[in-house]
Amino acid sequence: MFHKITTAWALHGKPVTIATLVVLVAFPFLFSNQYFVTVAILGGVFAILAMSLNLISGFMGITSLGHAAFFGVGAYTAALLSTRCGWPFLLTLLAACVVSLIFGFLLGLPTLRLSGRYLTIVTLAFCEIIRTVETNWRSLTGGATGITGIPEAEIFGYVFDSPRKLYFLILVLCVLTYVLIARLMNSRLGRGITAVRDDYIAAQAMGIKDSRYKIMAFVISAALAGMAGGFYAHYMSFISPLSFSFDQSTLILSMIIIGGLGNLTGSVIGALLLTILPEVLRPLMVWRQVIYGALLVVVILGKPSGLLGNVNLKHIRQRELFRRQSPSAEGEVKP
Amino acid sequence: MSTPILRTEKVTQRFGGLVAVNAVDMHVEQGEIIGIIGPNGAGKTTLFNCITGQYTPTEGKIYFHDKDITGMTPFQITGLGMCRTFQNIKLFPHMTIMENVMVGSHTRIKANLFDVLFHTKSHNTAEKEAEERAKRALELTGLSDNPYYYGTDLPYGKQRRLEIARAIASDPEVLMFDEPAAGMNEGETADLTEFIREIRDLGYTILLIEHDMRLVMNICDRIYVLDHGTLIASGKPEEIKQNPLVIEAYLGKKV
Repeated sequence: MFHKITTAWALHGKPVTIATLVVLVAFPFLFSNQYFVTVAILGGVFAILAMSLNLISGFMGITSLGHAAFFGVGAYTAALLSTRCGWPFLLTLLAACVVSLIFGFLLGLPTLRLSGRYLTIVTLAFCEIIRTVETNWRSLTGGATGITGIPEAEIFGYVFDSPRKLYFLILVLCVLTYVLIARLMNSRLGRGITAVRDDYIAAQAMGIKDSRYKIMAFVISAALAGMAGGFYAHYMSFISPLSFSFDQSTLILSMIIIGGLGNLTGSVIGALLLTILPEVLRPLMVWRQVIYGALLVVVILGKPSGLLGNVNLKHIRQRELFRRQSPSAEGEVKP
Repeated sequence: MSTPILRTEKVTQRFGGLVAVNAVDMHVEQGEIIGIIGPNGAGKTTLFNCITGQYTPTEGKIYFHDKDITGMTPFQITGLGMCRTFQNIKLFPHMTIMENVMVGSHTRIKANLFDVLFHTKSHNTAEKEAEERAKRALELTGLSDNPYYYGTDLPYGKQRRLEIARAIASDPEVLMFDEPAAGMNEGETADLTEFIREIRDLGYTILLIEHDMRLVMNICDRIYVLDHGTLIASGKPEEIKQNPLVIEAYLGKKV
């Protein structure tokens, strides 16, 4: 059943993508309720975070518990530059990317010496350090009370002052992130990243400089998370260290695990699921957390590798097309 | 005599007190098939690892075309034109057969981050070229079935061939095989022997470690014999067969 669905999806990728985009564009008009749109915007922010974390943890295979730190660095950069220096939105967003990118490079450095769970501990420590700095460097970050009065997003005089406008802004950023990572992974560089994850000794023997690929994954991932942070700051108009804690890191990691490591679409689904589910379950009051936890357990038990884990639509499409071209496929391998 | 394509000079590798490879001198000429044999633990794979840059030898020098490559990283050495396979097959499990081989051409195609993100011309040419190279290597190794299954789905013998295809896609001058016939039955080994001869005739120089004596004696131009890290004999297969030191290393002393 699942196999049939994924095969059909792989063979009709374009119509599915177009249909999805149409639904996404139509969504805020179908559900004019502001609450729905607001939840969707948050889902979009998490979708970017999940996709970018997937680059490190899924495609590069380094479990990171520090992703909220990049999110926070981006948010604080954008918030400070717009409230204190009066920079326009596009520039603060760009600055959020660049500053996060630098932090991504810094966190990427230990990957050259450490691996596995030791590295994960470093990412955890990194997240805590950033949060502690955000909380305690009061003169810069406003401490636990955070930064308030961040202006609304504005591009060349066009102010994003309604949830619907903001929804389309985050939709564009999501598509940008998706295309960027998909293009990266479907290239010489992406093969390098996958090779280093699968077997770094063999990768080196094939001429791949593994250190460069690890740093590259961290840098790109951090820049994208920073972008999400920049958007978030302008969208919320208020940020505090609470939004960028370790809990947030584990939430993003849960999203990509449920969606399936190494699958971008999975990350988006995981992000939307874990953003929407708590809202849907809100009427259950005290039982909410119990049901929420139980549902996650059921999903993971039902599909241990995540919803779309180990599903590579490109591979399925190529395989099917090749098989149809050469019907006399004798001696063909069957997995 | 022309300069050898590959030459080692007193290469020594110590691990703490253990001398895994002890002052090994060897040379490989263009177009030769060279075998390295020896009992288990003789230091054959360690010597391989020194040559391909996985280890930096404790002492000694390695020259590739008279260029000192001692202490270079594996990826630099592959870029120069030497590529290896592994004793325990190391394929990339999340990649298709095609992609596995495309990784082989990593050093031969050029596309940077900008090219990749904006799909510039150099990205498109690089992808096309990687695919062409992979197809040629797959054809050469007889793996022309559906190349979009995963490499690890292949039967064992074909997985070994896939590793060889991947190495060939890196366009090397020297191919290094670490026990290519390990775990193969007689028929498969015979095919492999024929195949190694074929690719030598295409102009590759081949250095291989092997336990299967029939294969080694059949195809190697010269053989080096290691025992406890030391080179105990070298020469043509017929000479090696007669060498008392070699017989002793494999069978023990006469009582």
